[in-house]
Amino acid sequence: MNAVRDTAHATGASGIHRLNPLTKLAFAVTVTVCAFAVVDYRWPLLLFGILLLPAAIGAGVLRRFLLMLTTFWVPVAVVLFVVQGFFLPGAHDVIAQLGPLKLKSEGVSFALLTALHILVLMSGFFLLLLTTHAGAFMSALSERKVSPSLIYIVSAALQIVPALSRRATRILHAQQARGQVIHGLRGRARALVPLMGPLILGAFTDVGERAAAMETRGFGATRHPTSLTAVPDSGVQRCLRAAMMLCAVAAVTVNVWGVVR
Amino acid sequence: MAGFNRSTPSWLNERWRIGWGTGVVLVTYAGLIAVRPTSEHGVGGPIALLALVGYTLGALLIVSGAVARLPPTTVALLPVAITVNIVMGKIVYFSGLPLQLDSIGTVLVGVVAGPAAGAATGALASVIVGMTITPGALPYAVTAAMIGFTAGMLARAGFFRRLSTAVLAGGLIGAVAGVVSAPITAFVFGNASGSVGQSALIATFQAFGNGMLKAATLQGLVADPLDKALTVVLAMAILKGLPPGFLHRFPFVRDRHILAPRADLVRVG
Amino acid sequence: MIEVKGFSFTYPTGSRPALSDVDFEVEPRELCAVVGGGGAGKSTLAGVVSGTVPHLTGGTAQGTVRVNGRDLDDTPLSGLVGEVGLVMQNPFNQISGARFSVREEIAFGLENLGVPRDEMAARVDLVLDDLGLTGVRDRSPYELSGGQQQLLAIGSVLVMRPTVMVLDEPTSQLDAAGNALVFEALGTLKEQGVTVLLIEHRMERLAHAADRVLVLDRGAIVAKGTPGEVLADERLEEWGVAPLRYTVAARRAAGRGLWPARKPLPVTLDAAAAGFGETVDHLDRGDWR
Repeated sequence: MNAVRDTAHATGASGIHRLNPLTKLAFAVTVTVCAFAVVDYRWPLLLFGILLLPAAIGAGVLRRFLLMLTTFWVPVAVVLFVVQGFFLPGAHDVIAQLGPLKLKSEGVSFALLTALHILVLMSGFFLLLLTTHAGAFMSALSERKVSPSLIYIVSAALQIVPALSRRATRILHAQQARGQVIHGLRGRARALVPLMGPLILGAFTDVGERAAAMETRGFGATRHPTSLTAVPDSGVQRCLRAAMMLCAVAAVTVNVWGVVR
Repeated sequence: MAGFNRSTPSWLNERWRIGWGTGVVLVTYAGLIAVRPTSEHGVGGPIALLALVGYTLGALLIVSGAVARLPPTTVALLPVAITVNIVMGKIVYFSGLPLQLDSIGTVLVGVVAGPAAGAATGALASVIVGMTITPGALPYAVTAAMIGFTAGMLARAGFFRRLSTAVLAGGLIGAVAGVVSAPITAFVFGNASGSVGQSALIATFQAFGNGMLKAATLQGLVADPLDKALTVVLAMAILKGLPPGFLHRFPFVRDRHILAPRADLVRVG
Repeated sequence: MIEVKGFSFTYPTGSRPALSDVDFEVEPRELCAVVGGGGAGKSTLAGVVSGTVPHLTGGTAQGTVRVNGRDLDDTPLSGLVGEVGLVMQNPFNQISGARFSVREEIAFGLENLGVPRDEMAARVDLVLDDLGLTGVRDRSPYELSGGQQQLLAIGSVLVMRPTVMVLDEPTSQLDAAGNALVFEALGTLKEQGVTVLLIEHRMERLAHAADRVLVLDRGAIVAKGTPGEVLADERLEEWGVAPLRYTVAARRAAGRGLWPARKPLPVTLDAAAAGFGETVDHLDRGDWR
């Protein structure tokens, strides 16, 4: 659950931390689109090397950035090389043989390209999450007139998930402390029901009360709610966002045109 | 309750946005099939980008349309349902069971509050997972939305009144999920997202000469219906355990006879 | 002000009425306390007066409820926002979860009403100060202790400056200091002309704070009056309410002629101490009876 805590409460003093969350979101989207737009493995590598990695260093989050990539990107990359290196449909240029399995060059280059695309996608969003407090992100969206319902749902889920997880872990530990041994698929399934049942039912039962509390506090009362916290923004960032979005739209248009043609 | 964006033109109002979003997703899917992605020029970048952009745009439209139409009680329900998705998905993942079971909350909302609410639950759950666990979940937002939407539509058609038809509904939901998610798995993730078991199954299909999209679709059609049937059973079990007053707060399930009449819901005396 | 006349209510799945033929009034500047055992209908009554029952729960209701002269039957919940405040029993459910710091959580209601930022900030900081929450203003609401969450729940309603405030056991998780803060805040509210309906199971403070006390038993009002009359009633236990221990002690003493004859049975610790002190003085002087 550490990831949830860390990303929902990211704090730091670097210039990247202080950027408007929407600027960082636009950056993550644009860099992903650009990475996918060019069929050459050196291109996403370049984006990662000259933009994403330096940004992670500059923000002072390099250690966690690499840790998250190791946890989430490396397994995908490994599976990708195994599956496509050996089994890419239509590949025939064999470069190595492992028993009955043939490693093919087309498969390896496809896997390399795809893995690097995913690397850029994940890095862009990890950077956003590691340097942005969820509260600031939601305030920025709210200033953009995003529906209060949507902001409520995302914010509440971000806070209830860790709260409920903490409770589940406590119960699980209590069960283990009482010497309950869990083995086998059926044993595991049987251990889950008494654990999760009351927790989930309780959470759903609370919904009615929470809705009543929200309504008495005026949720949905006006279509123009105000916001207590101001999210810093600047003319430079607005221009930067426009430029990035233009860049992304151009990349998509060129690609769609290329595919359709 | 009325939506928050009443000033928008009618072709962009809430109901239409759900329709436009669904349309974009369908066009994207059709486009991906039509351009024969296995052709030399397509694999990798451009097709993946097309899938990514089309699905993301579709998901955004669907979510913005669906969320604007939700009454406050449903709005309060969604975070809890999303939490159940994530916590159950996590527990099942770490328990080593060969299942996902990460859509229990989505199905439950679809049944209790209708297709739009179900779609919003699924898509926003993907956003939450994308924000807290791995961005790899973000491209699958449309699949999750379709799971909730399909559950709601089948509920409206009366599939959830009996357990047998509910299990069948689970199978159908799974089939939809499998087909919709295949382009993302194939083109964006090169058939390497998901668990090791899923990847092994896809590799097997590819080894037998199927194209990438076909292999991903076949894998989805084998694994998802089973998983979603079990998901539906668990969602129904939760519904049974909830206090009677709970369902009375949701007009969709209360007024349309979505579920079988419960003994404890009939007033005595 | 609150006027409830001949009000009965049954939940959609209930087999018997949760409230039956309830009748009472609370004037402005008045604090009315409601006591009763478990399942007596106290929380339902809180919901009725704050407009959430039956609007959100469904169910069948008869009779009228008027708040500040408006009939709640034809007032949508949104029409009461800012006018009627409800503090629920479980602070975990009162906290919206939509905001990431204590300060923003308190501001949530004002944001929803579109209050300008400067005014909002001033009102929020005032409430933080009143409830002693300034030290935790930037913490996540979910990282607070149960007692602090309860204060936050109260603050989030206080900040909206309602003219009618309904509190459902607001001090259940508070220590003595927190309890004192809440009752101090309630006292200030009364001075400002706010009508307060307080549901409370701990009665020590009620005698000082409440102007009137209602006793609910199985959905019906079985007693109403001043704290001195109601809390000293010998039928309290039959109604499912545990009487104060010093009241019980004084009643037993009175049975043996050991309580000053012209004094009513005590409902505060001070009155009990004074009464027993008088008895002891008399016994010492030997002029008892």
